[in-house]
Formats: sequence, structure tokens, C-alpha cells
Amino acid sequence: MSAPTSAEVVVIGSGICGSLAAWKLATRGKQVLILEAGPRIDRGRIVAAFRNSPRKSDWMSPYPFSAWAPQPEYKPKSNGYLVQAGPYPYPAEYIRVVGGTTWHWSALAWRLVPNDVRIKSLYGVGVDWPVTYDELDPWYQEAEEQLGVAGLPDTGSPRKHPFPLPPVAEPWAMQRIRERLAPTYTVVGNTVARNSRSYGGRPACVGNNSCQPICPVNAQYLGINAVEAAKAAGVKVVPNAVVYRIEHDAKGRITAVDYYDPDKTSHRVSGKQFILAANGIESPKLLLLSSSSKYPNGLANSSGMVGRNLMDHPSNSLTFYADEEMWLGRGPQSPDSINTLRDGAFRSQHAAYRLDFTNISQVLGVTEALIEEGVYGPAFDQQLRWRAARQLSVKTLLEVLPNPDNRITLSSDKDAMGIPKPEAHYSIDAYTRRGAQAAREDFAKIAALLGGTGLRYTPKGEFSNNQHITGTLGMGDDPTRFVTDRFGRAHDHENLFCCGTGVMPTSATMNSTLTGVALALRTADHMAPLKAQAASTDTTREAVSS
Amino acid sequence: MTGELAMTEPDQGPANPARRRVLAGFLTAYTASLVPWALAQPVAAPEHGAFMALSALLAGRRSLDAGLAARLFDALSAMYPHFTADARALLAQINQQHIDPAQLQSTLDGAHSPLAPLPRRIMRAWCLGLVGEGEATKCVAYENALNAVIVADVLKPPTYAYGEYGSWAKPPLAEGVNAS
Repeated sequence: MSAPTSAEVVVIGSGICGSLAAWKLATRGKQVLILEAGPRIDRGRIVAAFRNSPRKSDWMSPYPFSAWAPQPEYKPKSNGYLVQAGPYPYPAEYIRVVGGTTWHWSALAWRLVPNDVRIKSLYGVGVDWPVTYDELDPWYQEAEEQLGVAGLPDTGSPRKHPFPLPPVAEPWAMQRIRERLAPTYTVVGNTVARNSRSYGGRPACVGNNSCQPICPVNAQYLGINAVEAAKAAGVKVVPNAVVYRIEHDAKGRITAVDYYDPDKTSHRVSGKQFILAANGIESPKLLLLSSSSKYPNGLANSSGMVGRNLMDHPSNSLTFYADEEMWLGRGPQSPDSINTLRDGAFRSQHAAYRLDFTNISQVLGVTEALIEEGVYGPAFDQQLRWRAARQLSVKTLLEVLPNPDNRITLSSDKDAMGIPKPEAHYSIDAYTRRGAQAAREDFAKIAALLGGTGLRYTPKGEFSNNQHITGTLGMGDDPTRFVTDRFGRAHDHENLFCCGTGVMPTSATMNSTLTGVALALRTADHMAPLKAQAASTDTTREAVSS
Repeated sequence: MTGELAMTEPDQGPANPARRRVLAGFLTAYTASLVPWALAQPVAAPEHGAFMALSALLAGRRSLDAGLAARLFDALSAMYPHFTADARALLAQINQQHIDPAQLQSTLDGAHSPLAPLPRRIMRAWCLGLVGEGEATKCVAYENALNAVIVADVLKPPTYAYGEYGSWAKPPLAEGVNAS
């Protein structure tokens, strides 16, 4: 069967944001086609690939690599796809398959805090968003109900309606951490897109402790669930369709997209409206690739801001041994946080942050360490149990301010299809580094409260990345400063919309997926509004709660 | 070590009595004294002897799964052409110099011995299920690698279900089993 050559709405990218926007548009009667660069994959095969992988701490290792839709990989050595221009590395990971990168994610579905969208006005840093937190509330709610988000009532992010699911049962280790750190620190359960009971046709979590790289049982909402919802609503999905150009007419309206199949045969799909939802790196790459005589700097780029203001959440961590047995690895991987440092007057001086306690089994890392140390004989058994029971780790998720010099550009290097690779220009500024220094003091207090020994800090000045790719399609009201407007529409093209975390004008401190989904659903509502908008949220809520 | 950690008798049943060999035959008095519990450990083939003896010394386990041992031996032999000879040489060195397993790695490293990589290779195989280095690494075992077995009374290997919803909220060793 040949692939469609036209649709009312063409969506580029089948990740959680693009697919849920497609789903909503289909429920509004739109004829929608999703083009996905990568292949379909099967959950069971990913689980098997992980179990057979020689690199179990590399969460990309179970996922297939497609030469026609390359993705950045760094182990056992970098494949060089995301070119690093420096000065600081930006080794972002993402998965180019049907369903996108949330095949593996922690499922942390946090809302922002209200002040996150006003940091320029309140603290004199970054930029203000063109929307308020209250304006986002209905779409946050809808996103939470679609994903099946479980959470506590007192997370610090206000809400008008309750979470659709009660909080996920807190692992024993997290209970002990919460009790031991009180009252100095308030530890709370994360809000997560993980079932605490059957919901949306998916089962409750059974604690496989492999949320990343793969939930084997479908208790955690993934992008593939969004794809399935979209398909059920009538959306067509074409895999292995590598979009390499977006076409426009003389008035700047988008008319079609061109894609290669894996044999590099070119296909053209025309449409009336277009959604670019290929993530915060691939989306700006595609806009820059689509330059023309009318738009020599790329589409949507009259501001010169496409690809700029690249942000993420750099992390540093402390690993140590507690003075009691905790046994991380029982239940889901990312259950609890300290979220009281997300906001405060200090934001005028240094980055806000969230502190995240891992519940990932420590057995793998401890085993590797013991072998490296040459611990053999009966001591191996004893040490493995002692360390695996007591080893804890806490990490930061630090806010990064928008900086136009942090950006994605087109590399002169090309991939196997002859398409320029994305190139990351990145640095971590003094504002974020001061936040890291403040967090280091929290690390020390936390370790002391837990009787910590064997403290291992991330070396000063070193950060790991969290794949929360934001900012490269930033939204704002001023078309000279921002790529997209308050609804995610490209300022330069009336029928081109951007969905995904790239439209977030600041990164705040919370995992960005839920905000990206809420914004995508809001964009879809704007593209195909109901006559009585107030009814839409209630209708949707009914539909997904059943 | 808990009773729960004791492993099942390897597949060396009466159907094949002629093949039954035990580890004691490959040990000297010194190494036998280090792993008295392992003397009856079956050894599948004569060329496995030194590997099994080193495995018992390094892993310090009451028993080792003979089926997994055979797979690991095959993988290690295929990956490293001199593996069998190196294993014999290292066992001989331990016997002659009466090296305590706890001091083995530092002794070999200190002497810049060409055999220094061998203990880690054997332990990676048993404890991580991995054979080889870098891009050539192969996964031979996962849920029955020793690092999973040693904590099996508390944890499941990632991707395996821990238990019914919420079971992780209980204390990990509620039955009072605590081997550490």
C-alpha cells in the first residue's frame, strides 16, 4: 500500500508531543498523517535486547540504530552524529523510532511552578513566558489525564483538579530517606506517568526497576501509547520517512514536506497545516535545512533564533553509603525528590534546582567497582551485599538560562543520507555553576543526616546531561526575538506549528515532557478549536478516565 | 551467606556418571584449604579444571552452576586464545606462592604480571555475565550472573517484576533474613 501523498495536517515526528497533538486533531475531525524518520520497534524485543546487552548502564544500547535516521550514541564510542562544537560537551541522547524518546524516560511528569514562567519580571534573569501558569493549568490537567499521572496533592505546583491517579507506592528506601531528612528537608514523591492502578488499559506498576531503558509491562506511559491513541483516532503513521525539506509558497505558507525512504527515494506530502515535532534538535535542524531564496537563513528564522537558546538540566551528584540498609532497586527508578529549591529570591543570583533521589538498583555499579578493586573470595559476596544495600545517590537538576550562543546549527559533516548532521554549541554559565555550588552544600547536609560515609562528589565543574532538550524553538510574542508565538505557531509561517519541549522559552528545573505535552495539546486546540472550549477539557477527561 | 543463596546441584546426574569429576582433583592442599566447601564442585571436562578452581577461589561461592561454567569457559576460551593455558599458569602460581585471593589482584598488578587481567576477566564473566572488552564484549549471562544471585533474596534483576503493586513499600528484609 502506498503512503499518503496529502493530508489536512502533516505531523513530523511521532514522539509523545507530536502524537498527542495528532490524536487531539483527529478527535476534532482532522485528517492527520504522522511522518516518522525511524522504524517501528517492539517492546518485547527491546526488553530482550536489554537483557542481552553488554552495556546495561547505557540505556541507548537496546534500541536499534537506523542508518537512514541516525541518533546520537556515545558508547562504547561516540558515533559522531551530534557534532560537538563546544566549549562544553552537550551529549544529548534521543531515539528516532515510532514513539520517540519516551520509550525510555523516568516518567517524571512534573508541572512547573508558577514563578518559572516569570523569572525575568521576578528575578531579572532569563525571559518571561508569553503564557501564565494559570493559563496552562487546563492543558496540564488534560496531559495528566491522558498520560495517567499519579501524584501527591502538595507538590508545590498548584492545580485546580486532582491528579487522575493516587501517588505510586513509595519504596522503602525513599520512606527512610524522607524520615531521616525531615524536618531539614521535605522529601516528596515525584509526580509520575506511572500507573498506581490500572488506567488507560494499562496495568499498575510491578516494580521492574527498568523504567529506563524500558518498562516491560506498559505501566508507564510512553510515546508509543500516544501513537496508538492517535492511530485509534484515525491518524495514519508512516515510519522510516526521513523528512529533509519543508516547502513553502510565495506568501510563506507551508505547502508540503519531502522525505526520503531508507532507499533514499524521495516522496512528497502536501497539507494544509503542519506540525514540526521532531524534538529540540531535529526540529531546528529541519528548519535550517529548508532554507530557500525567500528564507536564506532557514524557515521560521527571521528572528535568527532557530536553534538558539539551547537548554537542558545539567546534573551533578553525590554518591555515598548510608548508615542503614536501604536496598535501592525495589520498585520504580525515580520515586522521590526535594522540590523546595525550585524557586526563591536566590534565583536572581543562582540557578534553581530540584534534588532527585535515585532508586535504581546499585548492584551493577557496585559489582563493577568491586571487580575493579580486585575484591575476591568471600569478601566479594559480603561487600556486594553491604554496598548494594547502603549505596545512595542524589543529583541536581539545575536550571539553565537561555543564551543565544548555546545553539544547534548544521554541521558540514553529513549523515548516511547526505543530510547535514546537527551541531551543538554549548556552555554552562556562572549562574548555573553557582547553583551547583549551592547544591553541593545540600549534598553534604543530606549525607550527614543519613550517616553517610564514602562520599563521592561529581568533580567540580563537571556535569552530566538529562536529555531535557529545550529552548531551540522558543515561544514569545515578539517575532524579532522568538521563533514561535504563544500557541507554538511559527511567527513567519501561519500554518506551521511547533510541538515539543523546544518551544519552552526557559528550562526551569522540572523534567520537561509534561510541559511539552501540555503545550502541544494547547497548540492542537488552537489549530482546531472547539466552539465551546470549556467543554473540551471535560469531554477529554471523561474519555480517558474510563 | 544465606541458605537461599545455595545453588542447585549442577546438571551432572546419574545419566552420565562417567563424566563426573570434582574440583578437589584440581586443587593442592593450599588451594583446597581456601575453598573447602567447593571440593565436591563438579567439573565438566578436564580442561575446565583450572578455570573452575580459579572460579571457586575468586567467587568464594559454596557452589557454582556447572552449566553456566561451561558456557563461560567456552566464551572465555573463544575470546582469549590462551585462556586455558593462562588459567593453568595462574592456578599454579597461586598454589606455589600461596597467594590469598584477597591479595591476588594487587600481587599480580604489583608484579606487572601478564596474568593480571585474568582474575578480572573471570570475575566479570561470573558476576556480570560479560566476556571481552570494549566493542567486542559479549553478554553470556544476566539473571543468573552471580551479582544477581547474591542479592536474589532482596532484589530482582532490572526488567524482572519485583512483585505485586506496592510490595516494594515494605522493608526489604521483613522476614529477618539479613546475610550482610
